[in-house]
Amino acid sequence: MKGFASIRWRLQIWHGLILVLVLAGFGITAWELVRANELRRIDADLSERRSAILASLRRAREDGPPPRGLPPLRGSTDGEGSRPRDRGEFPPPPPRDFRLGGRDVGLFEGSDRNAYYYALWVRDGTELARSAAAPPGLTRPDPAAATNTIRMIGTRRELFEYTRPGECVLVGLDIAPQMAGLRRFAWPLLLAGGAILALGVAGGGWLLNRALRPIAQISSTATKIAVGDLSQRIPIAETEDELGELAGVLNSTFARLETSFAQQARFTADASHELRTPVTVLLSQIQTTLARERTATEYRDLLEACQRTAQRMRRLMESLLELARFDAGQEPLKRAPLNLAQVAEESLELIQPLAADRGLKLGTDLSTARCEGDASRLGQVITNLLTNAVQYNRSGGEIRVTTGTDQESAMLRVQDTGVGMAPADCERVFERFFRVDAARTTGAGRTGLGLAIVKAIVEAHGGTVSVSSVPGEGTVFTVRLPRR
Amino acid sequence: MRLLVVEDEPDLLASLTKALREEGYAVDAADDGEAGLSKAENWDYDAIVLDVMLPRLDGWELLRRLRRTRKTPVLLLTARDASRDRVRGLDAGADDYVVKPFDLGELLARVRALIRRAAGQTSNLIEIGPVTIDTAARRVLRDGQALVLTAREYALVEFLALHRGAVVTRTTLYEHLFNEDDDTFSNLLDVHVSNVRKKLGADFITTRRGHGYCLE
Repeated sequence: MKGFASIRWRLQIWHGLILVLVLAGFGITAWELVRANELRRIDADLSERRSAILASLRRAREDGPPPRGLPPLRGSTDGEGSRPRDRGEFPPPPPRDFRLGGRDVGLFEGSDRNAYYYALWVRDGTELARSAAAPPGLTRPDPAAATNTIRMIGTRRELFEYTRPGECVLVGLDIAPQMAGLRRFAWPLLLAGGAILALGVAGGGWLLNRALRPIAQISSTATKIAVGDLSQRIPIAETEDELGELAGVLNSTFARLETSFAQQARFTADASHELRTPVTVLLSQIQTTLARERTATEYRDLLEACQRTAQRMRRLMESLLELARFDAGQEPLKRAPLNLAQVAEESLELIQPLAADRGLKLGTDLSTARCEGDASRLGQVITNLLTNAVQYNRSGGEIRVTTGTDQESAMLRVQDTGVGMAPADCERVFERFFRVDAARTTGAGRTGLGLAIVKAIVEAHGGTVSVSSVPGEGTVFTVRLPRR
Repeated sequence: MRLLVVEDEPDLLASLTKALREEGYAVDAADDGEAGLSKAENWDYDAIVLDVMLPRLDGWELLRRLRRTRKTPVLLLTARDASRDRVRGLDAGADDYVVKPFDLGELLARVRALIRRAAGQTSNLIEIGPVTIDTAARRVLRDGQALVLTAREYALVEFLALHRGAVVTRTTLYEHLFNEDDDTFSNLLDVHVSNVRKKLGADFITTRRGHGYCLE
C-alpha cells in the first residue's frame, strides 16, 4: 500500500467525489421540484381565492346600493365630477361595508388548517376589509413597485392584484407549515442519498479491488523478481482482458530474462571453474619451486611451465570472449562468396602435423561447395572439428573430410574413427565446457569451448551443425550452410 | 611415508610429486583414474591425493571402488567448492579435501594431518624417551637439541614412531619409504637404520631378527 497517493485511493476518492456531486445534484433537483410544486399548488389556491374576492367585489359593486345615491355605472354626473374622464374607465368603488359572500367566506375561514387570509384596499390606500386571520402588520403593497404580483414577507406568501379601478386585493398564506413539511421531506432524501453514497463507494471499492488485483499481483511478482527470484510468474486468470495480456507479455519477458540469467550464471560459473585448473597449476609449480633454492635449469623449467599455463589461460580467455561476442551479436562476419572445399584444404594443411603425430590418415573428398560466409571464421570451424577428430581418434585411425552441395545447402562433413559417443553425449556435445569423459585437458589446446564456437559461427551464418556417433566406431560432424 | 598422486593435468602432477618428494615422502604418480585405482589397490599407501575430474574413471568412482578393499586416507582435490560436492566427496569415503586453486602449504599440512590421524596420533609431537619428533616441522630433537637427519632418515624415524610398539618388516619399510622408481634390492635401508642409530642412540631402534624393526 502506498497510502493515499496510490492509484487505488485516488480512484476511490474521485469516485466518491463524483458520487457526492451526482447525488447532491439529484437531491437538490428533487427537493426543488417538490418545493416548486408545493408553491405552485399554494399559488393556485391563492389565485382561486383572489378570483373569488374579485368576483365578490364585482357582485358587490353591481348589487350594492350606489354610494351617495348615484347609480354605479352612471358616474358621469356624480360627485366625482372633478375627474369626469375617469367615468366609464373607473367603476365606482365598492361599498364601504364590503364583505365576502357567504360561500367565499369558507375559503378563508373554517378549519384551523385553513390559514388563508385576505385584505382589500381602495384606491387611496384605506383598508376596505381584511380577514380575521390576516396578520396585524399587513400593509398594502406599493403600487409603483408592484412589478411582481407575488411577494414573500417572512414566511408569508402573498398574491395581490390591483383592479382597474385601483383597489388592491391581496390574499396570503403563512407557508411555514408547508416549508416545515418540505424540510421534513429533506431528511429522508438526505438519508437515502447517504445510503446510496455509502453503497456506491463500497461497490466502487469492491470493483476497484477486483480491477486492481491483477496489478497488485503483477507488482508483487515483480518485487519478488527484483529481489532475485526469477522463477516467479504472474498468475493469469483472465487472459482476454488487457491486464491479462500485459501479464502474459511480462511473463514471457520474465521467462526470457530467467533463461538468459541462468545461461550467464552457468557460463560464469563454468568459466571460473575452468580457470581454476590453470591457476592451480601455476600456484603449485611456483610454490614448489620457491620452497628452496633451485638451479638455473629448474627455474627455467618453471618459467616454461608457467608460460604453457599462461598461454592456455589466454586461449581460454579468447574463446570465452569470442563466444560472449557471438552471444551479444557483436561478432561481425566478413561475408564473401567462397568455396568450402578450398577453406577445408587450408585447414587440413594446418592440422596435418598434428594428425601425423598421432599416426592418423587424412582422407578427403572435396567437391566444390559454394556458399557465402566469412572464410577465416569458417576455417576456424573446420580446424576445430579437425582438432576434435584428431584428439578423440584412436591412434592409427582415420579422418575423412567431405564437402559438397545438395539442393539447399553447401555441406561439410568431418568423420573420425574415434571412440564415439553415447546418444546422450551427442545432445550435449555443443554445450560450453562439456566433455564426454571427465577428462580435463589431456590435449594441450583444449578449452572445452571448441564445439560451442563451431556452433556459434555456423549459426551466425544461418547454417546448422549436427553430430551422429556410434560408440566404438566413430563420430560424424555435418555442417550445412545456405547455398548462394 | 609413501603417497599416491592421481592427477591428469601433467604440469600439476609433476609439481605435486616434486613438492611431496621434497617433503621426504615416497611418491607414486598416476595420470588417469584407472591407473590410479590399480596402484591404490595394489599398494598400501599412507595417503592418496586424488583429483576428482579424471579421464576414464572419475575420482568419486575411484574412491567408491577403492573403499571396497582399502581404508587408505584420501585427500580430494576438487575444483568445486559447492558444499554439495564436498559432502559427496566425504560421503564417498574421502577423509579430507582441498579446493582448487589451493596453496601448496595447505595441501602439505592436510597430507600430514591425514597420515597422523591414520596412525592414531592427534598431536604433531611424538615423544619417545628423550627423543621428540615434530611431524609438522619434520624435525627430531634429543634432550631439546635438534638433530640433523636426511629426509629418508627422518621418514624412517617418523614411520617407526607412528607404528610405535609394532614390529615393522623390512618389506613394509621399503614399501613406505621408497617410491616405485627406487631400487628396493639395495641395502639402502640398512644404511639408513645404522645412520639413525648413530644419531639417536644404538638402542633407539630395536632389531627383531627375522621379523624387522621396532621402536619400543
